[in-house]
Amino acid sequence: METKVIVGLGSCGIAAGAGKVFETLNKLRDEGKADFLLSRTSCVGMCYREPLVEVVDGKGSVIYGNVDEKMAAEIISRHLLKNEIISEWVVRSESQETVDDTFFGGQVKIALRNCGFIDPEKIEEYKARGGYRALEMIAREKIAPEAVVQMVMDSGLRGRGGGGFSTGLKWKLTLNSQSDEKYVICNADEGDPGAFMDRSLLEGDPHSVLEGMIIGAYAVRGNGGVIYCRAEYPLAIKRLYIAIDQARKNGYLGKDIAGIEGFNFDLYIKEGAGAFVCGEETALMASVEGKRGMPYKKPPFPAESGLWRKPTNINNVETWANIPWIITEGPEKYASYGTEKSKGTKVFALTGKINRGGLVEVPMGITLREIIYELGGGIQGGKQFKAVQMGGPSGGCIPAALVDTIIDYDSVTSTGAIMGSGGMVVMDETTCMVDVARFFLDFTYKESCGKCTFCRVGTKRMLEILTRICEGEGKESDIELLEELAYQIKDSSLCGLGQTAPNPVLTTLKYFRNEYLAHIVDRKCPAGVCTKLLTYEVIPENCTGCTVCAKNCPVDAISGERKQLHHIDQAVCIKCGLCFTKCTFDAIRKY
Amino acid sequence: MNEIKITLNGKEVTAIKGEKILAVAERNGINIPTLCNDKRLEPYSSCFVCVVEVDGVRSLQPSCSTPVNEGMVIATDNNRIRQARKTALDLLLSNHYADCVGPCKQTCPAGVDVQGYISLIEKGKYREAVALIKEANPLPAICGRVCVRPCEVACRRNLLDEGSGVGVDYMKRFAADRDLEDVERFMPDKEPPTGKKVAVIGAGPGGLSAAYWLQQKGHQCDIYEAAPKAGGWLRYGIPEYRLPNDVLDKEIEGITGLGVNIFCNQKLGDNLKFADLNRDYDAFILAPGSQKGTRLGCEGDEAENVFPGIDFLKQMELTGKRPDFTGKTVAVVGGGNTAMDCCRTSIRCGAEKVYVVYRRTEKEMPANPIEIHESKLEGVEYMFLTNPVRVNKDEAGRVKSMTLIRMELGEPDSSGRRRPVEKPGSEFEMEVDYILAAIGQKTELSFLEDVNSGTTKGVLKANKWGDIDADPDTLRTGVENIFAAGDSVTGPATIIEAVAQAQTAVHSCHNYLMGIDVVPPSRVFYSRKDNFKEQVATEYAGLFVPQKRQEMPVLDPKARMNFAEVELGYTDENIVRKEANRCLECGCTAFFDCDLQRYATEYRADQKRFAGEFNAFDVDFSHPFIEFDRNKCILCGKCIRICREYVGANALGLVNRGFVTYVSPDMDGSLRDTKCETCGMCISVCPTGALMENYKFKPGPIEATPVRTVDFFGSEGVTYDLYNRSGFFMGADGAPGVVNPDGSIGRQQRFGYNVLNRLERIKTPLMKKDGEFVEVTYEEAFRVISEKIRASEADRNIFMAGARLSNEEMYMIQKLARAGVKTNNISSFHYMGRCHGYLNSSDDNVPFGELEDATAFFVVGAELTEDNQYTGFIVNNIRYRKGTPVKVITTKEESSMTHKADEVAKVRSYYSFIKAVNSLIVQQTLYNKMYIDDHCEGFDDYVAEISSLNIEEQAKEAGVPVDVVERFARQFTSNHNPVLIFSEKEVCPDTAQEIRNLAMLSGILGKRSAGLLCLKEKNNSQGLIDAGISAGRLPGGLEITGRDSLAVAEKKWGISGLSERTGSVKSLLMEGKFDNLFIFGEDPVGCAVDRETVADAISGAGFTVVQDYTLTETALLADLVLPATYPFETGGSFTNTQRVLQRFGKETESPVGMSNLRQIAEIASALGMEASADPDVILDEMFGFLTKDKNERAFVITEGRNRQAMFLHGADSLVKLFDEYFGGEFDNN
Repeated sequence: METKVIVGLGSCGIAAGAGKVFETLNKLRDEGKADFLLSRTSCVGMCYREPLVEVVDGKGSVIYGNVDEKMAAEIISRHLLKNEIISEWVVRSESQETVDDTFFGGQVKIALRNCGFIDPEKIEEYKARGGYRALEMIAREKIAPEAVVQMVMDSGLRGRGGGGFSTGLKWKLTLNSQSDEKYVICNADEGDPGAFMDRSLLEGDPHSVLEGMIIGAYAVRGNGGVIYCRAEYPLAIKRLYIAIDQARKNGYLGKDIAGIEGFNFDLYIKEGAGAFVCGEETALMASVEGKRGMPYKKPPFPAESGLWRKPTNINNVETWANIPWIITEGPEKYASYGTEKSKGTKVFALTGKINRGGLVEVPMGITLREIIYELGGGIQGGKQFKAVQMGGPSGGCIPAALVDTIIDYDSVTSTGAIMGSGGMVVMDETTCMVDVARFFLDFTYKESCGKCTFCRVGTKRMLEILTRICEGEGKESDIELLEELAYQIKDSSLCGLGQTAPNPVLTTLKYFRNEYLAHIVDRKCPAGVCTKLLTYEVIPENCTGCTVCAKNCPVDAISGERKQLHHIDQAVCIKCGLCFTKCTFDAIRKY
Repeated sequence: MNEIKITLNGKEVTAIKGEKILAVAERNGINIPTLCNDKRLEPYSSCFVCVVEVDGVRSLQPSCSTPVNEGMVIATDNNRIRQARKTALDLLLSNHYADCVGPCKQTCPAGVDVQGYISLIEKGKYREAVALIKEANPLPAICGRVCVRPCEVACRRNLLDEGSGVGVDYMKRFAADRDLEDVERFMPDKEPPTGKKVAVIGAGPGGLSAAYWLQQKGHQCDIYEAAPKAGGWLRYGIPEYRLPNDVLDKEIEGITGLGVNIFCNQKLGDNLKFADLNRDYDAFILAPGSQKGTRLGCEGDEAENVFPGIDFLKQMELTGKRPDFTGKTVAVVGGGNTAMDCCRTSIRCGAEKVYVVYRRTEKEMPANPIEIHESKLEGVEYMFLTNPVRVNKDEAGRVKSMTLIRMELGEPDSSGRRRPVEKPGSEFEMEVDYILAAIGQKTELSFLEDVNSGTTKGVLKANKWGDIDADPDTLRTGVENIFAAGDSVTGPATIIEAVAQAQTAVHSCHNYLMGIDVVPPSRVFYSRKDNFKEQVATEYAGLFVPQKRQEMPVLDPKARMNFAEVELGYTDENIVRKEANRCLECGCTAFFDCDLQRYATEYRADQKRFAGEFNAFDVDFSHPFIEFDRNKCILCGKCIRICREYVGANALGLVNRGFVTYVSPDMDGSLRDTKCETCGMCISVCPTGALMENYKFKPGPIEATPVRTVDFFGSEGVTYDLYNRSGFFMGADGAPGVVNPDGSIGRQQRFGYNVLNRLERIKTPLMKKDGEFVEVTYEEAFRVISEKIRASEADRNIFMAGARLSNEEMYMIQKLARAGVKTNNISSFHYMGRCHGYLNSSDDNVPFGELEDATAFFVVGAELTEDNQYTGFIVNNIRYRKGTPVKVITTKEESSMTHKADEVAKVRSYYSFIKAVNSLIVQQTLYNKMYIDDHCEGFDDYVAEISSLNIEEQAKEAGVPVDVVERFARQFTSNHNPVLIFSEKEVCPDTAQEIRNLAMLSGILGKRSAGLLCLKEKNNSQGLIDAGISAGRLPGGLEITGRDSLAVAEKKWGISGLSERTGSVKSLLMEGKFDNLFIFGEDPVGCAVDRETVADAISGAGFTVVQDYTLTETALLADLVLPATYPFETGGSFTNTQRVLQRFGKETESPVGMSNLRQIAEIASALGMEASADPDVILDEMFGFLTKDKNERAFVITEGRNRQAMFLHGADSLVKLFDEYFGGEFDNN
């Protein structure tokens, strides 16, 4: 068999320099340095090892990590030409154990089944791995829409966008709504800070989403579809366009799809302008209709009256990607993974202070500990794990003490966080939890559409309170006021954005109240993050009197003769931290 | 029906499935507060003030958008809900950078509505201004002179004009003095007697005020005063040169005039025993004041000729003797207003030298700066930073000199002023003859024991400062029926504070007397800019024209050696108006109908709870009619939505996201540059004062009385309220009516009142003598009229009636002509030469309510956005909600309807176009044969006429390709419920006839929710047809075809000999074949297209009478002008464009002595004919003529004569004025 060299060209890979690696390999091949098939794939999940280059030959597959142009050339010369596996660069191989093996150890890839394994721009590769077989099965076996809905119901699949509503039930409601026109929508307006599951999926396997949507349209008797994708995902959009075009040419979109008489369906991509709130389904639909992206009150639910007031079924990217697998492999198999009420797998984007940041797909029921310490390889720099933020701005922080929490909808919710769309931001001891809350509030306050009072003004006021706490101007009554506002905003906001915006504050207050009190009462930031609460001091034993700190101080707060002990005037110091970073003798401490 | 049962606040009620909770609650009498909901609009749910609790739902639900379900259990009011609503309001208010009321009212202890009365003063309504002031302060003439004026200190004009705030007091004095001099002074209305009696102790400002209000509430008040005369310190403390006794006396008369008795020389605890009073009175107000002057308080102060200053002033007033200080030196110690009174009085008593000794500097002096200024002019000298140490006596014990010490200012004390400290060793001595100590007063409570021994209802006590101990919020004392007010509670304070105290004491006392709990008056919420930041000059600079205060004229300082009043008062109205115009109107115009303020009060909202960043904007005055203050906006989106969903102008939108979102016209420009139609709907829906009318006068705001009327401008017949404050119209707003149940109105109704305010109304008949109009009596006028009529042949009289008049007026005018004068020369300029073609335009019209089910709207020559806005709203809203298409056919280069239409066809001639359509329908047999056979006449003739017409040519004449004609024809005939809307203003009579032919061809005339909607031009154009304003037709449209046809009228009127001669009145007029011309409610000259011809024709009359509101151009040509009354001053009925007859009442008295109807009746009576002036009787009589509609549906063959209107503005001077005013405002700005 011909040797195949595959470069991971997802956004993460490209950002790490995979584009140049690809060019180098291409050049080498063109120059006739070696004979191989150069191919591309997308993110396999090991973002922390990008760029990744996979060599597949008769002996199997070897994946090299952190490849640069020079290494690429070496891989050609050594691996391809000399048949030498460069074992110190290998991150994954059938023939060799690697430290990264544990990253894949607990994973079960359903939604991500093709990511990193196929060229996402080639429908043949998708089909080669079983793509469109689900749709063809439905056509061949004449499975009725109702039966398809039942299969999805039986799988126990719940909405992976964060809502966790039963997908099958949602489909059933849409199917049962009477209308001449019905729509299916793919919500690809991924906007949580630190979340990139949908992007990776669309970049790595767009057809699985398309096939899911086509099946969904068939099941609810829909005739039009929209993929609402944020414009900040150009690669995903490009690959979607390619995939749609290929699907049309292959008869999977258009009239009498897959030979099913009367099943006419087509879809288009609507690029969102990056408003976070447009991920909320009613705002999303308003945006598709060309209106300002503002949510409206449900009911009526989209299943009754959605896009253009027609019954509409909206699912998230990951949800759609699961569908073909469920059909081909059977709902029972899907439901065999997970816990009683949360079936199947979930994709998470691991980020933050973790050793192996990337994309993982794990079966429901796994513990946080397994994800963080085994898949994720623990905390960077051997620091103390403090908390993990799940669910983005709508979610909350789960403290280290709850690291054995099981990943399923109910367990996560009971901590005060939410499963969300799958963002997992890991924090260590150097993270200030008040600052984290402030960060997320700053996000939601900016992303509020401005429609309803509590979200528009309430989040602003919460942010102001958090800011003043971080700046050492908090009042003791602030915690109470913050809590009151938080509950009121949760209680009286129109859409999910407002209803969940206080979660980061509520969970940090729940688990890290002492940190708040330290800021307010002691005027100290225990994690040393909130600059205005920091004190910079010269450590007399270490100071050599080199004057570097004094020279760099922008406000002349540091005094001291050359070769004499220096001193920082606390009244003048603006806590910029320049002295701390500039000192080469570790003679400045901050606390 | 999907009727379901739900539980609302524990009660089971029925509802329709899908109905919103808010709507169900409202229907069941439960009010849920909401700021963003409007019945005309789709639910929005932004304010979250309407939240309710639904069983089984975790979070609170916005009731405006939550539909009810079977079995739903809802609570609309409990603690959780109230807390959420309060928080929502707190949050909204934390970004509501605006003042509810101006700083003047905020700082006035008595809360006098300064901005309100300035508005009245601006309009010359002085008596009204006094009435408004007296609601909060019964002593305007006094306070207008001697108040300490916290309002003027707080006034924001200070920021603009170098510290000269608006001359509030000067204006108040002007208004109050006018009232004092008025023969018929303002007296408030009184409640019926309650049988309760109240004794008030003390006739100072507090006691007088208390008695004034309690007496108004129906309680008999008797004041007991220790001094020989009433007034308290007003009389015995303030010298006459500041407050003349006669002003005081007159002001007190304003109180005794209500029935309050004042018994003088009655001192409680002395010659007046509480036990005795207690037998006769139910409750008491103690307002004895702080009577005791404070002694100097230094060594030797018992010396002769050393007095407390107030004792000195009081003694002078009591004895009527002025001490002779000639050649003497007087030292006044102190820096307050009493010190000023003492020093200036001393000057007036002849003192050679008068010193004011004050321990701080001039800046710290509590006295009014004007007083200090005047005293200096009068020769008083000041010794600042100086304090007495000792009084030195001569052998006789008289004061000889005073030892003083220099002071310097140290650290600020608790009052915030820097504390004066002695400079050691700086003592010096000064020779003086008299020392007046003006350093304070004390309350004397010698009556405590007497009171306590006379009551069993509690104990009256002194507080730790030696004043009466009373609850600070209710002013109730330890005795349950005794309330206290004024200095005796607060210690020495100001007049206005005593008045304010009286308000509270009266509130409590009244509650007590009526058996209501004695609780503090509810606190009204005021949003305040000061809650956000201090107001500084830079924010106001450039926004207003600088204008210095109109100075108060004063007596020449040289002429002041007497007690004549120094301040002379403003001399004329122009100065007062100029000063009034300096008011910046800081208070919100929407104060009286602001929902946000109302809810904030109800839910005790707190503007500062969530204080933080806020958005501040400049107020946008760029639109001549709409003022936009984004600072007040709460982003309910109603303006945006009403403009988009209802009006269709789509002029407003949201900019930005999140906290910094704001409402803005398109492209962030001016509203003027959008498709804004100036309908004012945004103003009417705004729950705060963010969108307000850009008033052309000082709007106050002041409360005004709504005068409900049916529109007398346009033909839709909407109902609305004009807001009237003693003859001045303060504004207008829609009211739910038969035609407009949603209460929507258009621009003519909303802004038309401005024209009424500008009218110089005629109030008496005017007769032209030697080319000049002179006032004559009605008798004289009617005598002349009847003589002129009698002197002429019957048919040389012409009667013209305008389309503005009521049915009753029209009917009586034609009756006067026919029965009184025996002529049929009756017509209207409005329809001159055109009426015939419009006779049946409004027959079978589609009612507004049925438009809902139309399947398409064809608008042919009707500018709904300009002339018929209400129709425009309905059509656009249906288009918005249901997608019903709107197709516009217009001859205009740019129809104002373009952006609201799905299709626009530009044609050259409406007539040719419709005729081409009809020809095509006939020729291609697209018509509805069955309908025509069943309902119509004259079809064969019509077909014969039209079938041979060349459609190509017709289309060419219409200026469109044939396919446009065909498309229209097919769309119109194939639509299920097409509605064709046209207006008489735009299409000529022949076109109107062809439109009717078209409706018959397609078989939709008279069909439900389909057919025609003809928009007439004036409020009662239809009335002209129905009431018999036509030479050839009696009321009810009965054609005069010979003697027999007159029998109906002769029988009804009980007379005979009605004329059967009919003919063109227009010809008679134009050919000058008449002697007398009577024009009622029309201005043909002013509105003529060809002014000269019309003026010539009218000038040709031997004798012309014009009845109108004002001297119109036509009236100027008349020999006799009769004043006209507004519709709402008479009552009557109009018939709208769809032939809905609506009655309206007489809502206000007219300044015109005689109603239009009475005038007609009087003329009739002078001609020996009996006539009623009662609209009800007349309408009944007129109804007798109205037979059941024949619903004649006959095809009419037209010739396409283009009969253009001879008159613009519907021949109505009022419409003309409005059109000019409206256009002018856009041109001038």
